[in-house]
Parts: sequence; structure tokens; C-alpha cells
Amino acid sequence: MAIEFRKNLALFRDVVSVEEAEPLLEWLQKKPAGRVDLADCTHLHAANLQVLMAACASVKAWPKDPFFADWLRAALLRPH
Amino acid sequence: MTPLLEQFLSEARDFLQGIGEKLMQLEKAPADAELMTELFRFVHTLKGNSGLFDFPEMTRVLHAGEDLMDAVRQGRVAYSQELADRLLDAMDFIGMLCDEIELNGAIGSAYAAESARLGASLRQLISVPGTAVEGVPLAVPSSTEQPIPTPAALPPLETLPEVVRMAAFRLAHEGEPLHWLTYTPEEGCFFSGDDPFFQARQTPGVLWGGVVAREAWPKLLEVDAYRCILDFHLLTTASRADLDEYYRYMPEQIRRVAIPALALVQPQGDPNGGPVYEDFVVEALDTLGRGDNGSLAHAARTMLELSNPDLWLASALRWLLLLLELEPDNHAAQGVVIESLRNLETIDWLAVTAMAPSVEDEPCTAAETRMSPVEMSPEEMSPEEQASLAALVATQRAILGLPIEAAWQMGRVRAVISTLSGCLRACQREDEIAGLEAASAAALDDASAAPLLDWLDRHFSTESVAPAPAAPEHKATEAAPVVVLPAEDTKSAGEGEGDVKFGRRAEDAFSGPKSLKVEQAKIDLLMNLIGEIVVAKNALPYLAGRAETVFGVRELSREIKAQYAVINRIAEEMQDAIMQVRMMPVSFVFQRFPRLVRDISRKLGKEVKLVLEGEETEADKNIIESLGDPLVHIVRNSLDHGFELPEVRRAAGKPSEGTLTIRATQESDRVVIEIQDDGKGIDPEVVKRKAYEKGLIDETTLERLSDQEAVNLVFAAGFSTAEVISDLSGRGVGMDVVRTAIEKVNGAIALDSEKGRGTRIRLSLPLSMAVTNVMIIESDGQIFGLPMDNVVETVRVARTDIRTIKRSMATVLRGRIVPLKSLNKLLGLATPPIANDQDELAVLVVRLGEESVGLLVDDFRETVDIILKPMTGVLAGLGCYSGSALMGDGSVLMVLNVKELM
Amino acid sequence: MKRILIVDDAATVRMFHRTILESAGYTVDEAVNGIEALEKALQSAYDLYMVDINMPKLDGYGFLRELRGHDIPQPPAIMISTEAEASDQSQAYASGANAYLIKPSKPEQLLVHVRLLIGEA
Repeated sequence: MAIEFRKNLALFRDVVSVEEAEPLLEWLQKKPAGRVDLADCTHLHAANLQVLMAACASVKAWPKDPFFADWLRAALLRPH
Repeated sequence: MTPLLEQFLSEARDFLQGIGEKLMQLEKAPADAELMTELFRFVHTLKGNSGLFDFPEMTRVLHAGEDLMDAVRQGRVAYSQELADRLLDAMDFIGMLCDEIELNGAIGSAYAAESARLGASLRQLISVPGTAVEGVPLAVPSSTEQPIPTPAALPPLETLPEVVRMAAFRLAHEGEPLHWLTYTPEEGCFFSGDDPFFQARQTPGVLWGGVVAREAWPKLLEVDAYRCILDFHLLTTASRADLDEYYRYMPEQIRRVAIPALALVQPQGDPNGGPVYEDFVVEALDTLGRGDNGSLAHAARTMLELSNPDLWLASALRWLLLLLELEPDNHAAQGVVIESLRNLETIDWLAVTAMAPSVEDEPCTAAETRMSPVEMSPEEMSPEEQASLAALVATQRAILGLPIEAAWQMGRVRAVISTLSGCLRACQREDEIAGLEAASAAALDDASAAPLLDWLDRHFSTESVAPAPAAPEHKATEAAPVVVLPAEDTKSAGEGEGDVKFGRRAEDAFSGPKSLKVEQAKIDLLMNLIGEIVVAKNALPYLAGRAETVFGVRELSREIKAQYAVINRIAEEMQDAIMQVRMMPVSFVFQRFPRLVRDISRKLGKEVKLVLEGEETEADKNIIESLGDPLVHIVRNSLDHGFELPEVRRAAGKPSEGTLTIRATQESDRVVIEIQDDGKGIDPEVVKRKAYEKGLIDETTLERLSDQEAVNLVFAAGFSTAEVISDLSGRGVGMDVVRTAIEKVNGAIALDSEKGRGTRIRLSLPLSMAVTNVMIIESDGQIFGLPMDNVVETVRVARTDIRTIKRSMATVLRGRIVPLKSLNKLLGLATPPIANDQDELAVLVVRLGEESVGLLVDDFRETVDIILKPMTGVLAGLGCYSGSALMGDGSVLMVLNVKELM
Repeated sequence: MKRILIVDDAATVRMFHRTILESAGYTVDEAVNGIEALEKALQSAYDLYMVDINMPKLDGYGFLRELRGHDIPQPPAIMISTEAEASDQSQAYASGANAYLIKPSKPEQLLVHVRLLIGEA
């Protein structure tokens, strides 16, 4: 698993694949205030992105790759 | 067909073969990482090759296969039999496409659906491990709406950060095309293994990308993670062609709009209470009216310094300054930006100018007034070249920023210097090479990449360089030690077209590949030519004879004979060499068996282990090829009828897994193939009864037949032991067909079997069919050839020793009765055989299976080596001849096929 | 005559690139893996290398790293890959490549890079 779920924080690492979208969604459903740490994430499958967007998840740390971070900021910081 | 396509097909087949083999091997050793890596590489390379052509149906499947193997290789997906099956299916499909391409030069549209299905079935294994769903969701293109030709509105560019738009604006002025791309992936795309986010991220030339939901998000508890409702929006510098290429598998899912540079000009920020800058606006417009760009820029800068940068005002001023810089003569546009300070509204460029974004037209490059390209690029450089140059320079900058921790990394720096020097020469800035060399030298002296980076900053300003979006982001680490660089290297790289290159390079030997792939036709031609030499050479002994007998010059005759010996030797060696070229290992035929045995045994529910031995044994290509079908038939037969089901085997005290051995060996000038199974064997009683029921043998024979003879009845025409003809062993085609095929190439087949223990079939074939030793005989004033393989002996039999029993003739030779047949009669000639002076008839005893038969001919002649050419055209139908050969005196020799003759 | 060494295990790709380069007047030599490429690079001088990533025996990264460690002239290298992943790209640059192209590259695009790297106006 490329996502490690802690108490109120989901840590994303490397490439997060499509299979992890479902557990991520379940976690966010249980913990609406949960935050995500994307610092060590290099890519996440669109399904995960979709879940993060739907949940308006708050981001604790953005990816190190600035281009990737820009993408995510544009997707997640936009008011829905 | 182009040579490239031919090369592709030939290599593709090799790869398909290799993929099949690796999969077979993996089945035995599923954890073998090396095999897995090789398999991945095969699929990967094949996909790369297919990408050179426009075969999306092929590439799609291979791409899925590559991704799947990559996942397996990295341990994300476990290897399984299911996976092997799907991959094999996919490769069969690719093989079919290869055939299609070979035949028609292209892939018909009929294959698209199958391609999508196979691709999806492979991808399914990557995306949803463990949950194999029947009925793979297909990538059905959503209703193909045509893109609206000219949309009335520009995309919401004002939502992009100002920095991004300003960078894009600059790029547009450097000649880059700008496109706004909307990518709407299908809702079900996650199931076909697609990752639209990845697809979007990798779009060439992305400057900015955004993601929006197509519909309002439902409550979190009702969200479906796997129904894709995302739309991707991108601003890119890629050309229309590049975008179409990149999205060519989903053209219906994208819409691209060419963006006029001015559309990017949109102030944004805090309006701060409203338009309070009337004075400034009036004054600015006045200055603009006078065309005094300098004063206007000065005023704008002053105002900017006094303003909070987050204000809408500040943003508008920045745009104004940029416009003054890049489009100094476009007063209209500058005026519009100034006016916007009055109402603080988004500028409607469509209303202001006549410009409209177009979906179909070529992207409008930048603005009407095109700024002369940045200092570095001469006017002659095309926009593509400028873009490549900019990207290259940016890359070299990034490479220089990498830390240097090992000695070899100095080579990397030197390669950067070569590259920069190349770039300078390419844009005819040779005068700057000296500076580069100085910087290189300084870099060495200081043991730091900094001088080179400085030089880059001075000569290739960052602004003028495209921020190559895909370029890696490297943080320039602390001054890394640069290892000393030999000065002459940089010099030689810098001197370009100078005289150095010849001294250094002229003698470089070109080394070609060590093995060649040669067309079959070329070898055949060589074969024919050597055949002619053999024939021509055979004329020399005649000539020697004539020299002596007709012209009476013995000396000359001897010399001719000596020369003949030399030529004969060379011809034989040459023939040998050419034969060697034609030799192929039997593995060529064997390689198909692992898959065949696996598929069939699985289908029959049997467990069979295949053992292949002696695969490296070689024989002539024709022999090897003629082996293929009979072997397949034998193997299928064995799987179908020979091996028992596992439970039956266990009950019989045998291991549940049977063993099928195919073994090739060379025995003097023949290659022997044995196919052995440890199945139930053949019951001679059953065979006898069947043969009797089918009327193949009569009652007396039934009594008399030995078990071995009975077993050999399976080769009789029209014999089939199976109660039901299965779909595997062919439809009513029995072992007789196998025998005929083997005998056609002068092979022999033998079978022995032990009930309950198994069956062994032994094929014996000549190593080469190229040269045949034949005996020449005379009959009815004509000459014929007979292969020496068939000849047992030649005898003269007194007419009185020939008995006529009923209507057939026979004689006794060494205590055995030999039936006699007149060749003339067999050939349908009326003439009776001619006896010699002693009233003896010439009898050629030939082997016919286990029997010997005497052929009555007129006379025997010498034996010769000939190159037998099969009969072609209408003559091919004449079974009594196996071929023809050209003789030394130019005549044609017809070679008899003894078996057919009888 | 500028000399280019194509390093690729796929004969089709080699032929594809050879055709493009030769029609543009370059002399082309080929190697089928990193080991052979290294042998050739040490024996004769080239003006440019075009290197595939995934090859048997020694891959493209390995070849470049070895090459860059030798005390010989260091001409530019283009890494040719089917992968569009940024990680491959950074690894290519770190290994000693100077440019990175995705195959199938369009002939014009390839030639533009070759011209710039080799330094022909």
C-alpha cells in the first residue's frame, strides 16, 4: 500500500494506484477531518484524486515535485 | 512493403516466439525474476517497434501487455496461469495482425474491437487483482460529437495564475503554439486500466493543468470512487499535431482550442474598493496617444512600486509593462489594459478585437506584432528549433546542477560542454565558443560547475528558455567538485568543422553485424547454381573420354581428368558449404510443442510433462519444415489417445503426470526423431479387430499377424482407432497421412508400443535432400533415375528362371521369392523388356517397405549425384516421378518414385 | 561526415533511425546492447550517441555511466525511450544523457535535436 493511514493523517508515498481509492474513500468517510500528506507522493491515480476532491480533503503537505504540486493545488484548492 | 516494415514483421515474429517461450518457462518457474525481466523486455521492445508504425490496434494490446508485465515484474501483480493465458491470447492476436499486415500492408478496422477487448482484458489484471469480472467493460467511445468549430467563448484563462499566463505569453512570443485542451475521459475508464490523470500530466508541453468535476459532488457517503467524473484542462505549448498524436487513442475525448496570446492578458487580484485610479488612467491614455512608450513604462513602474502587488491594479500594470516589452507597437491592446483599470472587469478580448479562438485552424502564433526572437536565436531558426534549443539548454542547466559525487560524473559535465558547443555552432554563434571554453577551463580550475552555470546565465538567459515542463527538477546543490577536464577535448568539440575530424576519424573501421538474415530465395538461387556446377562438372569426364577416344590425345585426357578432380573437390566443398547454410536446428519445429502440449493437455484434463531433447540437432531446412505437420499430428494423437486421465493413471499405478519425450539425434547421414509417451500404449488385439472390421485385412491375415505387425496397421490408409473422432487429432485423418508425408521426403516411420506402458514412434529422415545419389537405368530407349536409397541390388536373371505365378512374375534370389514387375508396364508402356545376348533380363531389386521387388528394366548404367528438383506445375501431379535433374550432357533425367510406382 | 552510434536492441528501431539519419547525410553505426556500444565507443570516435534504455546485458543508463567515466572525448547523447515517465528522464540525465526523446520520435524532431547537439547550422 502506498497510503499509510494514521490517526488523522493519510501519508501518500510514491505512486498511489487505483486500488487504493476505495480504502482512501472509506477512511475519509470515517474521518471527515482527516488530512493528507502528499510530500512523498510522485503520482496518484485519478481515482484517488477524485476521492480527495469529493471529500475536499485538506492537505498537510504538497508533493515535492513542483509541477505535480501545481496540478494538485489547481485541483484541490479550487472552491467546489 | 518497405524494408522497414519487413524488418518489423520479421523481428516481431521472433519476439512473439520468444514471448511464448518465456511464458512457458515461467510456468515452470513463476518466481524467476530474470525470466520476468526478459519477458517484459520482449513485450516492451515489440511495443516500441509497433509504435514506429501506425498500428494502434497492435500497439494498444502490446501497451497493455507491457504495463501488465511491468506490474508483474515489480511485484504489483502476481504471475498466474490466467495471466499467461491472456497474454498468450494477446500474442496470438498480434501474430494474426502481423499476417494481416504482411498480406494487406495495414490492419483492417475489423480488428479494433478485438484489440480493445484484449487490451482491456490484460489491463483488468493490473487494475483489479483477484476480481476477474466476466464481460470486460469495453472502451466504447462516447458518441462521437464533432468538436464545435468555433466556440463563442475563450476558455476561463483568467482563473490561471498570473505567473503561468505571463510565462505562456512570453513563450507565445517566442513562436510556441498555445493550446487549451479539455480532456474528458470516459466514466468507465478506470476499469480499462486507464489513469487519465497520468495521461493528462504527461501531455507534451504542459504549462498549467487543472482538474474539475463534471458534476456536483454527491455526499461523501455516496461517492463512487471508480466512476470517473473528472475533466482535465490544460494549457500547453505542444503543437496541434503533437497533441493529436499524444491523444490519438482517445481523439473523441479531447477538445483543443488554439489560444491567441492576447487572451492570456487578464489582470487579476484584489479590486480594493473600486476604480479610484481615474487620474492615472487618463494620463496613461494620453501618454499612449503620443506613442511615448518610455514615459508610459516609467509611469507604470512608479505606480507599481507604490501599489500592493496583490491588487488588481498591480496585476494590470504588470501586464501593461509586459505588453510594452513584447508588443511595443500594439497600442490598442495596451489601451485596453489601461481602460480595464476603470471598471476592474475581466477584459473581453473577443469584443475588443476580432480575434477568436479556433478549434480547427492552425494555432495563431503569438500576436500580430511579433517580437524578434531572443538574442540567442538567429532569425533562420524555425520555432521548433528554437523550442528544442531552449529545452536542450534548460536540460544542460539542470544537468550542471546535479551533484558530482563520483569520478565518472565529470564525463557528464564534459558531455554538457560538447552539447552547448554544438548548440552554439548550430545557431551560428561560433564567436561565443571561446567564452564557453574559458568558462569550461574556469570550471575546472575552480573545481565547480558554477562558471559554466554563470556562462549559461549570461549567454542563454533563463527567460528566453522554455521552462521545459517535463524536465526534471534538480536543486543545484552546494558547489560540487568538478574533476579536471582535458582541455583538448573541449577544443576539439568546439572546433566543429575544423580539420581535426579527419585525422581522428578517417581510419575508424566500420564494423558490421556478425550474422546476416538472408532471404530464402537467395539461398535457393545459390543451390540452383551449385546444382548447375555439379552438372557442368560432370561433363568433364565425357570430354576426357572423347579427347582420348575421338582425338587420340591421351596426355590431354589425363590433364582434363586431373583438372576435373580439382573442380570436383571444390564443387563438393561448395555444395557442402551451401548445405550448411540451409541447415536448421530441429528446435525450429520443437519450439511450438510446449505451448501445444500445454494447451491440449489442459483442454483434455490430462497432466503431461513435455521433455525435449537434442533440439540443436540440425537438418536441411526443407526436411525440418516437412517435419512440422507430421510431428504435430503425432503429438496430438499421443495426447488424445495415448495418455490416460490422471485418475486412470493413478489407478494403474503410474504417476498422474505423464511424460512425453521428443528426442532428436543424428545417426550418420540421417536425423532421427523419437516421440515417446508413457501412456496406455496400443492394444494389438483392438487394432486387429478394427482393421478386420474395416476390411483392411482378411481373416487369414488376422490369425497370422504378429503383435508388431498389428500395431503397424495404424499406418494403413483409412485406419483410426478412436471411437469418436475428437476435434484435436483431426477429422478422420489417420497416421497414414503422417506416413505419406514422411515418406515424401525419403523418410521412414516406425512404431512400437507396449500395452499399458506406452508408445514410441521413430522417424528417420535424410539430413539433406539437396543431393541425391541415383542409379541410371534404361528402359524402352529412355533413361530414368532411381534413388540409390531404394536399390538393394542389380542382378541379371535368365529368362528361364522367371516363373509366372497366376499372372504375376517372380524369381528366386538367394532362396527368397522376389516378385518381378516390368517397369515398362508400370509406366504404361507396351514394349516388353529387352534381354541381353545371353537372354538374361536386367533386374533391379528395390526395397519397398519391408519387402523387396524386382524391377525389370532394359539395362543398368552408372550412378550419379544429382540435385533433385521437385516436379512443378501439371507434372507435380505425376506421382510416379519424384523429380527431375539436369545431366552433364544437357539432357533431363526423370527420377522415379518407386513407392508410388508400385 | 558526422558519425552517430545507434544503440538499441530492436533491429526495427535501429533501421528506422538509421534511415532517418542516413537520409540526412550522417554516417551511422549500430550496437545492439550497452556492452557492444561501449566496445565501439572505445574503439572509434562518434559525434553523437542515440541510446535506448531497456536493453539486455547492459542497459542505456549503465552504458552512459560507463561511457562518461572513460577518458575519451565526450560527445552528447540522446536517450530514446518509450517511457514518458519523468523518473526515467531524470535518471537519463543523471546517467549522462543530454537530451531525452520519446519514440517513436518524428523524423523532423529527431533531426532538429541531432543538428543542435552535433552543432550544425
